[in-house]
Amino acid sequence: MKLSLLYMDELRGFYKSKVMLFLWIGLPIIAVLFRFVQYGTTGQTISFTVVSALVVSSLAGTLASVMLSVSIINEKNRHVYELFLIRPLKRRAIILAKFLSVYTCVAIASFIAVFVGVGIDYLTTGVLSTTVINNLGQSLTISLSLVAIACAAGVLIGVAASSVLVGAILVIYGGNQISVLPLVPTLLNISNAVLCTIGLATLTTTLLLAVAIGLFERKQF
Amino acid sequence: MASNSPNVNTPFVVLRGVSKNYNNFNALNNVSFEIKEGEIFGYIGPNGAGKTTTMKILVGLLSDFQGEVFIGGYQVPTQKEEIHKLLGYLPQNVAFQEWRTVNHALKTLGKLSGLSDVEVENRIPEILDTLSLDDVRYKKISQLSGGMIQKVGLAQALLHDPKLLILDEPLGGLDPLSRHQFKEIVIKLGKQGTTILFSSHILSDVQDVADRIGIISHGKIKQIGTLNDLKSQVGTQKNVEVRLSYASEKWREFKSIKNVYKVEQTSPGRVLVNFEESADEDQVVNDLVQSIAKLGIRIKGITLLSPSLDEVYLNHVQEGEST
Repeated sequence: MKLSLLYMDELRGFYKSKVMLFLWIGLPIIAVLFRFVQYGTTGQTISFTVVSALVVSSLAGTLASVMLSVSIINEKNRHVYELFLIRPLKRRAIILAKFLSVYTCVAIASFIAVFVGVGIDYLTTGVLSTTVINNLGQSLTISLSLVAIACAAGVLIGVAASSVLVGAILVIYGGNQISVLPLVPTLLNISNAVLCTIGLATLTTTLLLAVAIGLFERKQF
Repeated sequence: MASNSPNVNTPFVVLRGVSKNYNNFNALNNVSFEIKEGEIFGYIGPNGAGKTTTMKILVGLLSDFQGEVFIGGYQVPTQKEEIHKLLGYLPQNVAFQEWRTVNHALKTLGKLSGLSDVEVENRIPEILDTLSLDDVRYKKISQLSGGMIQKVGLAQALLHDPKLLILDEPLGGLDPLSRHQFKEIVIKLGKQGTTILFSSHILSDVQDVADRIGIISHGKIKQIGTLNDLKSQVGTQKNVEVRLSYASEKWREFKSIKNVYKVEQTSPGRVLVNFEESADEDQVVNDLVQSIAKLGIRIKGITLLSPSLDEVYLNHVQEGEST
C-alpha cells in the first residue's frame, strides 16, 4: 500500500519535473538522429529498428543509473528522507519505489524508441524485415535486463555515495560495466540465451537491490 | 525489555544514560531525563551541544547509541514502527521534494502517517488555516521562502494529530508574527495534552512556552527544572532597582541596610541595590522601603530583579565549558 503510494508519487514527480517528457520524446529522437548520422557517415542502410535498439541498449542503462544515483544522493543530502523515515513505513519501500519508478520510465522510453524505429521502417519501406522482427524480442529483453541491472546499480551507488560527483564517477566506472552482464549469454551463444539473460538480470538486480536496502536500513540520518 | 503495549504509569518520554559518539567526538554523554505526558519541555543549549542528536535518537533516525530510550512505553529503536505512529517531528533543516506542491506533500505525508484519503482531505485545509498557509496550498515547494517551508514543516508534523511533537529549532527563519503565532499553537497543543519537546537557542522563546527546561552543554545535561527552579539554582546576585523622582545623593545611605553589600547608580535617577544571595528578599525590600521613607527620598518605583533565563543559561553553559 505504502510502496504503491510512493511509486505513484515518484512517477508523478518525473511527470511534473518533465523527466518523462525528456525520456519518452528524447530517446526516440536521438535514435532517429543517430540513424541519419550513421547513414550520412557510412552510407550503409541499417534499419531504423536496429539503430533504435542499439541506441536504447547503449543509452538507457546509463540514463537509469544516473537518474537514480543522482536523485537519491541529492535527496539524502537535502534531508528529504527524514520526513519519510519518521513515519510508520518500511525503509525498503522508499528504495523500491525509486527503483520501480525509474525502471518503468526508462522501460517505456525504450519501448517507444524501438517501436518508433519499427514504425519508421514500415513507413519508409512498406515492409518489415523478418530477421529484424525476430530479433526485436531478444533485443528488447536484453535492453530491459540491462536497464534493470543499471537501475539497481544506480540505487546502490545512490545509497552508498555521499556526493553527486562521486556518484556520477561510480556510475560511469561501475554501474555501466556491470549492466552489460545480460549480453554475456548472447555473446557466448548459449542456447536459450533469452531465458539466461532474464535469469542473470533478475539475480544481479536482486542482489544489488538487497545490498542497497541493507545499507539504507542501517544508515544513520 | 519493553512490553508491546504502552505503560500509562511511566512518563511519556524517557531517556536513561544515553550516549552517542561520532568517531572520536562524544556528542551525548550519559544523558537522562523524562518528559511527562502533556508537558512542554524546552531543550536549550549552544550550537553543537547535542540537542539535534538527542532528537534524532528519539525519532529513530539515529539508532547506534548507548543507553535506553522509551516513548509511550515503547522502546527506541526496536519498536520504531509503533513509536512513529505517535510522533510528529519538525527537523532543523526541513526539506521536501521540490516538484511537490504543498498540498501534494501534505497529502503523501499524511497518508504515510496512517490517515485515510477522507481524513487527509479534511485535515489539510484545517491545518493550513491554523498556520495561515491557505494561500500557498497549491504552490510548488520550490516557490516558497525558507520561513514558509518551515511552516509547511510544522504543518506536516501536526497533520496526523500526534501525541508527541518533537520540534528542532522550529522558530529559525520565522518572522516575528509567525513566531508569536507558532508559540501560541505550541501552548494550545500543550493544553490539549500533546507532549512537546521543543529545542531552541532563542531563550525567550523557550521561556514563553515551556513548562520545564533542560539545559545541555557539551553533550551533558547541566540542569533540568521549571524556570523558577533554574533561577533559584543559579548563584546570581539579587538586585533591587530603585527609580528616583529627582536627583539626590541620599541613596548612598542604602549601603547601611542589613545584607546590602553594594549600591550603585546605573543611570541618572536609577539606583541598583545588590544584596547577599542568602538574604531574605522580602526582608531586604521591606528594609529598603523603610529607609527610603526615613531618608525622605521620593521614588517613582522599586523593582526586584531576578536573574533572566539568559543569565541562568550562560551560568550553566559557562560552567560546562570550565569543567
